Amino acid sequence: MNIPQDLKYTKTHEWAKREGNIVIVGITEYAQKEISDVVFVETPKLGQQIERGKPAAVVESVKAAFDIYAPVSGKVSKVNQSLESAPGIINEECYGKGWFFEIDMSYDDDWNQLLSADQYSDHLKQESTKH
Amino acid sequence: MTEKTYPLYLHKKHEERGARFGVFGEWEVPLYYTSILEEHEQVRKRAGLFDISHMGEFVVTGKGAESYLDFLLPRNIKKLPLGKALYSPLLNERGGFVDDIIVYKVSSERFWIIVNAGNVAKDFAWFKTNLSGDVLLTNESDNKGLLAIQGPLALQVVNQLYPSLKLSQLSNYGFIEIEGGMIARTGYTGEDGFEIMIDKSELNHLWDRCFQNPDLKPIGFGARDTLRLEAAMLLYGHDMNEEVNPLEAGIGWTLDFTKTEFVARDILLKIKEQGITRKLIGFEMMDRGIPRQGYPILKSGKKTGEVTSGGVSPTLQKNIGLGYVPIESSAINEEIEILVRDRPQKAKIIPIPFYHRKKSE
Repeated sequence: MNIPQDLKYTKTHEWAKREGNIVIVGITEYAQKEISDVVFVETPKLGQQIERGKPAAVVESVKAAFDIYAPVSGKVSKVNQSLESAPGIINEECYGKGWFFEIDMSYDDDWNQLLSADQYSDHLKQESTKH
Repeated sequence: MTEKTYPLYLHKKHEERGARFGVFGEWEVPLYYTSILEEHEQVRKRAGLFDISHMGEFVVTGKGAESYLDFLLPRNIKKLPLGKALYSPLLNERGGFVDDIIVYKVSSERFWIIVNAGNVAKDFAWFKTNLSGDVLLTNESDNKGLLAIQGPLALQVVNQLYPSLKLSQLSNYGFIEIEGGMIARTGYTGEDGFEIMIDKSELNHLWDRCFQNPDLKPIGFGARDTLRLEAAMLLYGHDMNEEVNPLEAGIGWTLDFTKTEFVARDILLKIKEQGITRKLIGFEMMDRGIPRQGYPILKSGKKTGEVTSGGVSPTLQKNIGLGYVPIESSAINEEIEILVRDRPQKAKIIPIPFYHRKKSE
C-alpha cells in the first residue's frame, strides 16, 4: 500500500498536504481501492466553510456513495474541477491529479492532530485485523 | 453487532482470483475481482463466470407433482413442455410475492425449482404448507452448486465444457439434465447464457475447467447487480416483496387467469378488474445524482414513492433506477424527482428494460 511519507492522514482515509496555510485534500490509496470505480464526485463549493471531521464531499462509485471528511477546518479555497468530467482519475492517481479541494486552514492546531504516514499505516493494520 | 455470514463453497477459489468480498443477505460473496465496470463490460462484450451457489434448489416429484405446482404457481405448468423452464412468482394468499423462482419440467412427475438464496427456508415452508398427496418435496440446496456463464461468447464456452451435448440447440429457457444436475439456457444479465447446476463436490473442478477458455473472466455480485438492473430484471427484497403483487410489479403476464384455480387467483383477478393504484416504473436521471435504493421519489415536491433499485448503467452511460409510483403519475416521459442527499434531482420515466441485447441469431 502506497502511503507517501510527506503527507498527513485521517483515520477516515483522507490525506492532507500543507503549503503555507493552504491544505490540499484527497483520499488514500486504501480508500480508493475500497471505493473502487469512482463515477461521480460532489465537491464542496468555493468559499464554503467546512469543519474538521464533518463530511465535505461525496464520492460515488458503482456500488455506493461515500462521505469524504474534512481533515482540518477552514474555507474552501480551490476545487478540483476536472473531477466533474473525469472522476476516474481518483482511482488512477489518488495522491496526484485525483486531489479533491484545498482548504484555507482556520486553526493551525488542526494540522497537528493529523496522523503521520507511520501512524496511518498502523491504523490500517488495526483496521484489517478487525475484519 | 454483525450478523452471521456464510462463505460460499468456492470462497478459496474467489480469494485466489483476488476477489474483494461483501455481504449479500447472509452470504459473504465476491463483490468484484478487478472492477465492477470492467466485469460489466466483460459480460456485455465477451463472457463471464458467476458463482451463484448461494441459491436454493428444490425437487418436486410424484404423480401429483404437476397439479400441485399448477395450483401453487400462477403460471401454467401443465402447458409447459418437457425440457423447458419458466420464470414464475411464488405468491402468498394476498397475491404478494413470497419469492420469484424458476421451474424446470423434467417430466410431469419431476421438477426442479431454483429459488432465491435468502428465501430458501421461507419458500420451502410455503411449498410444504400447500403440499398435497402423491407429491414428494426435497430441499437439495446444501448439495447443489450453481455456476452461470453469461455473455455473447457463453455458448462457445459451454460447448468447450460439454462438447457432446449440442448446447447450441438448446432454446431460451430450455434445459437438459446432466450427471448430478442440469444445464439451462437462462440467466440474470440480459445476455445469452447458461446456468449449470451440479453436485457441490464437483464445483471446484468445474470452476477450474471453465477457465481453460481464456475469454472467460470471473464476475462478482457488483456487476451482477448492474447487469440485471440494465435488463430491468427484478431483485427480490428490493423490487418486490410480500406486500406487492405481480400486477404492480409489471409482470401481470405471469398470471394465467384461464386457470380456474391457483394461489391468490381470485384476489388478483379482482385487483386486475378494479385496476392497480401503484406501479413499478423505470426512470433515468436528467440531473447528475445517482439514485440508490431507499431514496424518495417526489412528484411536485411531495414524496410519492421510493427507489427500489438504482445506480449507474455502465452500458448506457446513464444513471437509472426502478421504483413504485402512483398509477396516475406513471406514464412514460412523466417527470419525477429523486431526493439525493436532501436535494431533489430531476428524472424521467422511461420504458423498461433499459437495455436490450442485439439478437445475433
